[in-house]
Amino acid sequence: MTIWSWDYTFEVFPVIFKAMWITLSATIVAFALAMVLGIILAVLRRSSFKPLVWTIIGLSEFIRATPPLVQLFFVFYDLPFFGISLSPFVAGVIGLGVHYSTYCAEIYRSGIESVPRGQWEAATALNFSRTQRWTKVILPQAIPPIIPMLGNYLISMFKDTPLLSAITVVEMLQTAKIAGSASFRYLEPFTIVGFLFLVLSYPSALLIKQLEVHLNRRKKENKAKKSKVKDVAPSC
Amino acid sequence: MISINTYLELIPSLLDGAKVTIQVLLWSLIFTFIIAFIAGLGKLSKWMVIRGISTVYIEIFRGTSLLVQLFWIYFVLPLFGMELSAMTAGVIAMSLCYGAYASEIVRGAILSIPKGQYEAAIALNMTPFQRMKNIILPQAFKIMLPGFGNISIELIKGTALVSLITLSDLTYQALTLRNTHVGLTTEIFLSLLILYFFIALPLILFVRWMERRVQVGRA
Amino acid sequence: MLTTMSKEITEKRIQTEKPFVVYKKVSKSFGDLKVLREIDFSVYPGEKVAIIGPSGSGKTTLIRLLMTLEEPTSGVIEIDGVPLWHKEVKGKLIKADEKHLHKMRGQIGMVFQQFNLFPHMTVLRNCTEAQVKVLGVNRKDAEDRAKEMLEKVGLGTKLDNYPSQLSGGQQQRVAIARALVMRPKVMLFDEPTSALDPELVGEVLDVIREIAAEGDMAMILVTHEMEFAKDVADRIVFTDGGKIIEEGSPKEVFENPKSERLQSFLRRMRK
Ligand SMILES: Nc1ncnc2c1ncn2[C@@H]1O[C@H](COP(=O)(O)OP(=O)(O)OP(=O)(O)O)[C@@H](O)[C@H]1O
Ligand SMILES: [Mg+2]
Repeated sequence: MTIWSWDYTFEVFPVIFKAMWITLSATIVAFALAMVLGIILAVLRRSSFKPLVWTIIGLSEFIRATPPLVQLFFVFYDLPFFGISLSPFVAGVIGLGVHYSTYCAEIYRSGIESVPRGQWEAATALNFSRTQRWTKVILPQAIPPIIPMLGNYLISMFKDTPLLSAITVVEMLQTAKIAGSASFRYLEPFTIVGFLFLVLSYPSALLIKQLEVHLNRRKKENKAKKSKVKDVAPSC
Repeated sequence: MISINTYLELIPSLLDGAKVTIQVLLWSLIFTFIIAFIAGLGKLSKWMVIRGISTVYIEIFRGTSLLVQLFWIYFVLPLFGMELSAMTAGVIAMSLCYGAYASEIVRGAILSIPKGQYEAAIALNMTPFQRMKNIILPQAFKIMLPGFGNISIELIKGTALVSLITLSDLTYQALTLRNTHVGLTTEIFLSLLILYFFIALPLILFVRWMERRVQVGRA
Repeated sequence: MLTTMSKEITEKRIQTEKPFVVYKKVSKSFGDLKVLREIDFSVYPGEKVAIIGPSGSGKTTLIRLLMTLEEPTSGVIEIDGVPLWHKEVKGKLIKADEKHLHKMRGQIGMVFQQFNLFPHMTVLRNCTEAQVKVLGVNRKDAEDRAKEMLEKVGLGTKLDNYPSQLSGGQQQRVAIARALVMRPKVMLFDEPTSALDPELVGEVLDVIREIAAEGDMAMILVTHEMEFAKDVADRIVFTDGGKIIEEGSPKEVFENPKSERLQSFLRRMRK
């Protein structure tokens, strides 16, 4: 008996492949949530109301340092006691989204802090409202440089979606497990899942690296331009 | 006040689980860093074959997902005649997965050492091994530390996954307790999260301290 | 006047002895860029050679080849009659392995433009590590020798400091001591003062002068300090465009430059 069965592979591949849509939609929805929540956390962290800032810092550290798996269980099994009953998919998306929002917030923060002080002052000088300062001046400058970092977290989150199987979301891994336990063959289904993850995440990672190189080069060119201007200025 | 008493009765089982979690954690940490150095140095090797093997290993384990790797090792390897205990499977999966990530930290730190350091070591006629051991690694190691701290925190979080292959770690114990004490779900899960947080706390403080030190050094 | 005396000694040696380092038609390219073109060049035992020339003319590359930091594209370099980058197997020269390079490198030492001290070691440790690990000297003897050399470069009181706690001039003097303790037969200096603040240049040049006056060790100095080159060197070599354009005693080269290129180079340097 050969260990790897191609017949069985062709049989289960379409089943697992179909479940990829659950994996992908969970990733996309959860990441959208993480990005939005992340911005809110990042902006609130700059509040002048210190107790709020400390609460956010403490809560973020706590969420980031504890297992997302346990957080998923918490959302799925515990919220019903507070009258919030969620489908496994929604619970999963909320759990992952909240977990990753704390990472996104850190990235936004680094982006926001890299916007020069003068930009804030200029925005105030031009009499923009508080919201306008954020949406028209600061965020448009803070976000592009951090897109690659966000991209890396998107991939990380994608690779964390198998955790959803633990709260009965039938995504790729759960599908493979069900197929495996029915046929007593685990080799092919699990290998297919691993293969699909690799095929999706590896090229995305390369793409992000490319983007990063591109952004860095642009930054350097801009800097070079600026320093040229500086070099010329004194002799004029 | 029945529930407080019942809750207190649950604590010992949770602590039993914590022992298993810490056991998995410590073994995985050891192997993670061994693997990280082997793969990280391997990717910098002058021999293409070693570079190739290291790259393939790193990309496969970073490109798939820890839980998939864990299931693969736990459910598939027995087909090849390798019966693994849940503990062994857990430690292998975690070490291979986080070792792949940590190897990039090792590699990055080594590459960040200025070329002049290698050249000075050559000028003093050190062998390639001596250059690495006495000159490059001691400097690179300091640079690796914050990254290692962060990986270790990730590793702590990752250990919860072994509960899914029936290893009775902290998370597994909590899930079992919840089955019998559904009314205490909130208390059990909150205790669980807090226990994890306290396991991670020393590392968090260490990383924050290192980061501050690096920042001060730069300024 | 020590200098002139040692110069006379060297003079005699050059007439009687064989060269210690010989470059034979050595070329070096980086990709399409030809940095050295068929260089023929030799250094006698104990001889002090200063290499001068415009930026990019290949001075650094020339000495990096001898330190085995860069591999020649073609040609042969010999140390004491033995090819450096090649091994003779059945009358044919094949590329040398790390073992051969290791054997040969022991005769060469180098001081870098950027010092390249080991930041994680104290001054003393910087000067003992290689003695212990490479020469197999026991730590006590290594420390004695290191202290002696550090004393000589005027840093006998800084043994336990880390490089980051020293000025550039002090760091470069430690680097000189670190190279000296290994007892090289030829010492290479790549613009040892050009990374220093002007007020620190003198202390380093004085140390090098003193070492040169002691005589035994051959030195190849790449430098932009013309007065210093004139003082210290037995011979000046002028490179431009990857070639040696002119060489001779300091007197010949500085007072009576023959080639147009050297003349204009010297005119520019004097300004
Ligand atoms: N590793 C390298 N890769 C590519 N080009 C190099 C490399 N090292 C040196 N070069 C080039 O070779 C040429 C000669 O360099 P070299 O450093 O030997 O000149 P130099 O005479 O020492 O100049 P300087 O006075 O500026 O130190 C330069 O054009 C330099 O850009
Ligand atoms: Mg140079």
